[in-house]
Amino acid sequence: MLYEQKPVMARMFFREAVTRAVREEMTRDPHILILGQDVGAFGGSYREFDGLYKIFGPDRIRDTPVAEAATIGIAAGAAAAGYRPLVSITYMDFLMLGFDALINYAAKLRYKTAGGLSAPMVVKTTAGAQGQGVAHSQCIEAWLMSVPGLRVVAPSTPADAYGLMKTALRGDGPVVYIDHKRLFPTPGDVPVTETSIPFGQACIRRDGTDLTLVSHGYMMRVASDAAQIVAQDGISCEVIDLRSLAPLDIDTVAGSVERTGRLLTLEEGQTVCGVGTEVATRTFERTGPKPWIRIGALPAPVSSNPVLEAACIPDAPRVADAIRTLLAR
Amino acid sequence: MTHIDPVGALRAMLMIRTFEDTLARRKEHGFQLLSSGEEAVAVGLASALGAEDQLLTGGRSIGPALARGVAPERVMAELLGKSGGMNQGRAGRGHMSDPQAGFFGAHAVVGGNISIAAGVAMARQLDGDGGIVAILFGDGACGAGALHETLNMAAQWKLPILFVCNNNQLSVSTARDAALAVANLSDLGATFGMWARTIDGLDVQGVAAAARDAVRHIRDGLGPAFLECTSIRLRSHSTTARETRSRAELAELQTHCPIRRHAAALQADGIVDDVGLEQMRQDAAAEIAQAMAYAEASPYPTAQEVLRHVV
Amino acid sequence: MIYQLSVPAAVPGVEEIRILEWHGGAGSTFAPGDLIVELETHKAVVEVRAGQAGVLREIKAEPGDWCAVGLRLALFSDSADEPLPEGDATATDILVDFEVT
Repeated sequence: MLYEQKPVMARMFFREAVTRAVREEMTRDPHILILGQDVGAFGGSYREFDGLYKIFGPDRIRDTPVAEAATIGIAAGAAAAGYRPLVSITYMDFLMLGFDALINYAAKLRYKTAGGLSAPMVVKTTAGAQGQGVAHSQCIEAWLMSVPGLRVVAPSTPADAYGLMKTALRGDGPVVYIDHKRLFPTPGDVPVTETSIPFGQACIRRDGTDLTLVSHGYMMRVASDAAQIVAQDGISCEVIDLRSLAPLDIDTVAGSVERTGRLLTLEEGQTVCGVGTEVATRTFERTGPKPWIRIGALPAPVSSNPVLEAACIPDAPRVADAIRTLLAR
Repeated sequence: MTHIDPVGALRAMLMIRTFEDTLARRKEHGFQLLSSGEEAVAVGLASALGAEDQLLTGGRSIGPALARGVAPERVMAELLGKSGGMNQGRAGRGHMSDPQAGFFGAHAVVGGNISIAAGVAMARQLDGDGGIVAILFGDGACGAGALHETLNMAAQWKLPILFVCNNNQLSVSTARDAALAVANLSDLGATFGMWARTIDGLDVQGVAAAARDAVRHIRDGLGPAFLECTSIRLRSHSTTARETRSRAELAELQTHCPIRRHAAALQADGIVDDVGLEQMRQDAAAEIAQAMAYAEASPYPTAQEVLRHVV
Repeated sequence: MIYQLSVPAAVPGVEEIRILEWHGGAGSTFAPGDLIVELETHKAVVEVRAGQAGVLREIKAEPGDWCAVGLRLALFSDSADEPLPEGDATATDILVDFEVT
């Protein structure tokens, strides 16, 4: 091709990308519902459903009481009976309250019915530290990755938020879609034409030759900043955004590690049985062992105390130090 | 409104009891949750549901599934892990389902299926097809938060759902009175403004009549209903759980057996005689023998199928 | 004297805002407390009010435009007839109050 056609983009806030995806899909499919706390006229805690209540009304957009267990259960039941509910769980920490319906029922429904029933539902939740304390800050996506039958995605840009939400709402099984509080203030460019992003496709955000830095969600910004810092020392990082945690795109990561020879995994959650550990294990099954450092939260709860929170969560200087350490190996 | 066919009800209860006895007698019967003593609840409730309605249950699901009309041979095969089961043997006890037969399924986490059932009811409400959903659970589930959350939301949204508590008065070994502070379990529904009633769950005709009233209330769009049926559990919690009651207690419980009671009532009314009753027992035995033969002949899935239908 | 109005760092974490609405155009006079412009963040509207008297001379970003924190939104002057500087010559920041709603 002589000219590569770049898609026309529109700049928008993260929440607007989500709203647009949900609005388009709700218009297309009358079986999509929204359930959650303050999702109706209020438009969602992060305004991610702004304006939808006026369009789709109280039957399809339902404010729920503070009852995460029943809300996720009702969504799972409605999904099994032919609807496509999107459940909003304000903080990922509260997702634990709905684990029975999500993990014991929805994620296993297709299996236990031999394909007869499935639970096409999306649980949209918000992870990450932002001064809200030990039970409003966690990133527990790694717990979810180990559940057979569950899909888990975590966008780092408005474009991915839009594309992954579209795919989630068209999927045929339960999906946990994870936003990050600290990404909300950042706008980004989203294709004007309707597009979706398939699950299981990582994205190389920065090409590099010395090591592969793999992350997702808000930590992608930390990863980019760290790559920028070490670039001044002549260190070239390849930065990969996983986007989809289950399924994982190990092809892209392993291909990169084959080229760079080193792996650094970065996440905001715990490293024990974490996303990075899983990525590394599966990568090295392909490439053989390579030098690897994993970075995540320190093994402590995430306090609302500004000093302790910052100490717990990875930042760019810490990642840059790890990059230098890894390069020395 | 048609009344429950009393002879049909006796046949159905005998079939369930025979099914469970036959299963328990099989040398390798696995881990099963039997419902002997609770047949009147299952059969009475099922008689009030229409073909388009759906029934969900907790783990103690054999009687309810059979009462709803799921083919006994498919239930038996499912419970034994055979491919001929309604879920190809993958669900097994506590998780089987057959939505085409109006049995949307079991979920063996106590209390766990209650919110799922409300979701199915919400789907029916949105479909506007007039179908309702019944959810059957034990007294053990009445301490679970999921029930209380769901009662609230079902009442708030006027969902077409019938909550049926089969109060067999035992949660494994813990007596209902030692576990639940509420006076009547139906008070849980009444608290949320529901049609609510506590009835004798050993009287199949009484259960049928009450369930009919509740279903009418729900179909009239008046919101959910809560029916507590007080029953007994004649066997231990599961086929692998030890019995905590004495022989004398169990013998006394047998005198309350809902099948005996209904048979005696029909005999007293001259509807059934000894010969007829014996014939019914033989019919049930023959039907279940066929079901067992079908299940025995059905193959297990191959190990290669383990990864099928996961995502 | 010429002043500039820049995007205020009104909300923590916000690096870029969207212009929602100007309450005046070139030539409009503002007294302290007058609403000049409304800016939009991911979840709030920032009302920017004059902290000193001035005349709005030139608007650099229209409604719907995105603008990073610290960048110039408009030029003001003490009187309507002062000549505007060429290009992006630095100017003193005009005093403003802002309210996040």
